[in-house]
Amino acid sequence: MLLAVLVATVAGVVAGVLIASALSRRAVAPIRVDPVVDEATGSSVRDAVDRLEIGVVMFGSAGDVTFSNAAARMMNGTHAGLIVSDHLAQVVEQVRTRGAGSREVVLHGPPRQIIAIEAKPLPRGGVVATIQDVSARALVDAMRKDFVANISHELKTPVGAIAVLAETVAEERDPAVASSLSARLVDEAHRAIRTIDDLLELSRIESKQPSDDLVDLAAVVDLAVERGRALAIGRDIEIAALDSGDALRVRGDRRQLESALGNLVENAVKYSHDGGAVQVRVRLDEPWIELMVADQGVGIPARDLDRVFERFYRVDKARARGTGGTGLGLSIVRHVAGNHGGDVAVQSAEGEGATFVIRLPARLLVAPTAADDNDRALSAPGDER
Amino acid sequence: MSAELRANFHEQLDQIRTEIARMSADVTELVPRATDILLDADLEGAEYVILGDDDYDARSIELEEQCFRVIALQAPVAQDLRSLVSAIKIIADVERSADLCVNICKATRRIYGHELDAELRGVIRKMGEQAHALFKECTEAYLNLDGPRAAALHDMDSYLDDLQRQFIQVIFESHAAGHIDLQVAVQLAVVARFFERIGDHAVNVGERVRYIVDAWVPEHPYPESDNDPPEIVAVPELGADD
Repeated sequence: MLLAVLVATVAGVVAGVLIASALSRRAVAPIRVDPVVDEATGSSVRDAVDRLEIGVVMFGSAGDVTFSNAAARMMNGTHAGLIVSDHLAQVVEQVRTRGAGSREVVLHGPPRQIIAIEAKPLPRGGVVATIQDVSARALVDAMRKDFVANISHELKTPVGAIAVLAETVAEERDPAVASSLSARLVDEAHRAIRTIDDLLELSRIESKQPSDDLVDLAAVVDLAVERGRALAIGRDIEIAALDSGDALRVRGDRRQLESALGNLVENAVKYSHDGGAVQVRVRLDEPWIELMVADQGVGIPARDLDRVFERFYRVDKARARGTGGTGLGLSIVRHVAGNHGGDVAVQSAEGEGATFVIRLPARLLVAPTAADDNDRALSAPGDER
Repeated sequence: MSAELRANFHEQLDQIRTEIARMSADVTELVPRATDILLDADLEGAEYVILGDDDYDARSIELEEQCFRVIALQAPVAQDLRSLVSAIKIIADVERSADLCVNICKATRRIYGHELDAELRGVIRKMGEQAHALFKECTEAYLNLDGPRAAALHDMDSYLDDLQRQFIQVIFESHAAGHIDLQVAVQLAVVARFFERIGDHAVNVGERVRYIVDAWVPEHPYPESDNDPPEIVAVPELGADD
């Protein structure tokens, strides 16, 4: 009797457990990650998804998270994670009501980040969402869009002004007015010429291999300083070559280097306050030769720092015309540096001036001993350091 | 059964903390947004932030209610009690900081049309960045109940205080040079105070995190009170204007 009860109890418990496990399996089965395993290596889909750079999160039918990969888990406990998870929940809700959902979340930073969330329903219920940092892509898109808008603006503005002024002059009978209009006509024409000249210069630099001149950096600095002084007349700006790199000679394109450093010094003067100082310095800091131009002027806001080297990019769009620049100077500088195997960097904060540094590889340097003997230096490139 | 209840209770505590941290993260985003709005004289953006403030008020009331309910129904003790009582205070700090961002946006309207010197803009940008960094730090310290990180907030705040002093100095100089009129100068001084206060609230949150983690309380009397505005020294002659 006792035995029978015992057997019955055991059987009941076993059956209960079986039923319970069957039920629970049915409950979780549709939302569990398919354990697809590659037989040869033993790696599972989960391992693969964990190594993706984009975040992947799966949601069950109740909206609960059933899986998140390593990239998504990394966001736990961070400021970005809090913001993204909030939007993620809303996007998943969108999928439920509309069948698909996506959103771009802007994190103000600095650095400013744009995170794209996309979610799709899964065939057997639940939702899968991806989280991806698209800041770089957004920057490229902005560059392209701005470039097209800016180039048409920079070219059309003076030409449009010329057309209107010319029409007015043609009808004007008062010689005094006509002469003032013609003066403006000339200004606008020169503006158009400057822009076109710079564009041509830029495309020349982009397309042409730099020529192989023996360039005396001190002479390049002197020329740039002179260019700056001509622009600084009447503004009490002191332009000094603190260290002009005496005896530093490099192999490079003389015209391009002169244009690059000249542009930097001109910029420094333009954006200086009256009574400010501009300093030019050349120094050898293996493996680089650094050409540095520093000013104490208005500086560049942090969010524009990455973009100042773009063609036609303006920090202060409203005041751009006042400085008389074409918006191409820094692009030219960047291309010249790139053509010589170097780069250009800027360090600045708004209101604290700016320092631009062109870095050229030190291998362009011609050994000082060889520099004393021009013929040998020119005929024996093997002497280069 | 009681273990299950406890687990449920702790889940509730975690959820409340996450929700408060989420509101705090939203306010963290509000700081650079308000800074941009101020510097770009973005009146439309200002309007959005001002209108959005009701949402923060509603959220903070709702979260406070949740804390009250848990305290009343669960009779928490020790760290659980500390975390709920602190949560109520943290909610107030976060909500107040959202108000300060709204105030910055309102100041944007008042100084609209006045050009600011690059020096002024530079310091405003720096204050905005520092206040943002402080708030981000206190949010993450609270979310992860990270005592050491919370303790570091004090030093970050002294830099913000230094920036405020520097900013006031630049305002005087800009006003003396005739670049901004008295009205704008006063508005900007008030804006400086808003940023400085945001930093103070972040420090408060940090102190409460330390209190939750190991019942730390600030020494009394304060060696140096956090909430005193930084002393402003060396006022240059202001006679230039009249």
